[in-house]
Amino acid sequence: MPFIEVPHQADVKVRVWADDCNALFAEAARAMFLVMYVAAEDRGVERSFTVSSDDLTSLMVDFLSELLFISEVDRVVFSSFEVTIDGTELRVRASGEPFDPARHLGGMEIKGVSYSGLGIVRDGEQFSSEILFDV
Amino acid sequence: MLEGIERINEVECEVPVGYVPGMRVSARFFLSEDLEESLEEGAVHQLANVATLPGIVRHALAMPDIHSGYGFPIGGVAAFREETGIISPGGVGYDINCGVRLLATPLRVEDLTQMRALVEELFRTVPTGVGAESRMRLSAQGLEEMLVEGVPWAVREGYGIEADAVHCEENGQMQDADAVPVSKRARKRGMPQAGTLGSGNHFLEVQVIDKVFDPKVAAVYGLEEGQVCCMIHCGSRGLGHQVCTDHLRVLESATRKYEIAIPDRQLACAPIHSPEGEAYFGAMAAAANYAWVNRQVITHEVRKVFSRLFGIEYEEMPLVYDVAHNVAKREEHDIDGRRETLYVHRKGATRAFGPGRLEVPADYRAVGQPVIIPGSMGSSSYVLHGTDTAMERTFGSTCHGAGRVMSRTKAKKSMPGKEVREALMERGIYVRATSDASIAEEAPAAYKESDKVVDTVTRARLSLPVVRLRPLGVIKG
Repeated sequence: MPFIEVPHQADVKVRVWADDCNALFAEAARAMFLVMYVAAEDRGVERSFTVSSDDLTSLMVDFLSELLFISEVDRVVFSSFEVTIDGTELRVRASGEPFDPARHLGGMEIKGVSYSGLGIVRDGEQFSSEILFDV
Repeated sequence: MLEGIERINEVECEVPVGYVPGMRVSARFFLSEDLEESLEEGAVHQLANVATLPGIVRHALAMPDIHSGYGFPIGGVAAFREETGIISPGGVGYDINCGVRLLATPLRVEDLTQMRALVEELFRTVPTGVGAESRMRLSAQGLEEMLVEGVPWAVREGYGIEADAVHCEENGQMQDADAVPVSKRARKRGMPQAGTLGSGNHFLEVQVIDKVFDPKVAAVYGLEEGQVCCMIHCGSRGLGHQVCTDHLRVLESATRKYEIAIPDRQLACAPIHSPEGEAYFGAMAAAANYAWVNRQVITHEVRKVFSRLFGIEYEEMPLVYDVAHNVAKREEHDIDGRRETLYVHRKGATRAFGPGRLEVPADYRAVGQPVIIPGSMGSSSYVLHGTDTAMERTFGSTCHGAGRVMSRTKAKKSMPGKEVREALMERGIYVRATSDASIAEEAPAAYKESDKVVDTVTRARLSLPVVRLRPLGVIKG
């Protein structure tokens, strides 16, 4: 599993890593949905959108915030993400299933994606990031 | 004590200028020696970061429930001058006006013979947990009015009694609220969630007053030993979260535009009277009104349940008070003998205005504002009252809760929710939640003892205890 939870008393912090930036963003999204809904499956519900931001860090916040918004208003639990980043513009095709309280409850509601300590680090061939969610 | 921090007295410590680069003033936090080991270096660093912001008055402050958040630490308080200061979502948080209210009842603890039935009925009536949907029939126009008018709107719509608004901070209506900078996206999230409890540390609790510290003040607040009360803890739901997300993005650019140096991007901010600063402040105030209405609608549902089960009139269940824990306010304070307009950010802190202040409801004015400190499911909650010392030392502020000492994930791993639920049942506390996991993450052992936090603010005289409330029944999201 290419993400771990970093100890944090009040909120939830995750560390994600991947071989390229596209995969890193996809892993960050997957981590966020596993924190919120414990388990999710791809049952063919799809959403595609683009995000454009000032820099890569803002792109991460804006991308995850957009997913939070869509998940809440459309009541969809996403599980897989195909991300393509071009400069500071991102395109994603996210897929998952309708929210079902019987199967999805038991996680933690995420209120927002914080900038605190957020960065995207390249170490050799690997990209990593630590993201703090307000829960 | 952490290196570089000086203990001033038995309940107060100073973080000197220079602890992090760019500090304009020193930082101070209130913490007794027996809570020292719970202090996180990250939280002190965040507090020192706040001291670098322009226009800050006196000190960056933190209460004894200080812990690491993002931007400001949780428990953080900072006031900024109107002319030279800033406004920042990092000093408020995503859950704008997350807060707590206390509802009194005429019942005695011995009247509650069917606690399980009462809690189950409350759980059925109040939409609770992730994905819970509002039972209100709210139109776009209704939401607009709610955002601008707050609790008085809710009362007019039939969700309360006349006396409710005056027993809320700001009378349940921030005068600076502006619905225009509340985005369509925020409204879309807010529309189906009005009157819902949410999840995480939010709860609805049936409690009994098991100790009275100050009978005179308790009588003023209409409280006495053995009395059953109901406490509601929740916030502005998705609408407030989206307002924070939207405006943080705008304020990120504004920070660069106005050349404000910040040590943490989550402290993105703008001058108070800039277009960006005013837009955030207006939208934040509107989200605060939404949160007050949210608690008001839940109050109405609670009254209906108590009325149905016990034959009590709504007027016999007065709102004792409603406080905000996450908000920025325009307030007047005496600074060096001069009255100044300040923008006071409280993030995980409670306003605790002392006696005589006009903002305190007329019937409470002689004794100061009620301060409501929720405990956790198994530990006591408190009502305190504001003091002159708080006005002089902390811009009229005190602590907001117990403060976590264990992460939610660790709590879940170390104590299965079922065991926590059963252990609480043995102590006479009936808990009903949407899942056992949400009980585990909020287990009493995950929090500092609320007694110690209250003891620190009492010794510092930032607020003084009036009554203690013991939980009897809890519903959680």
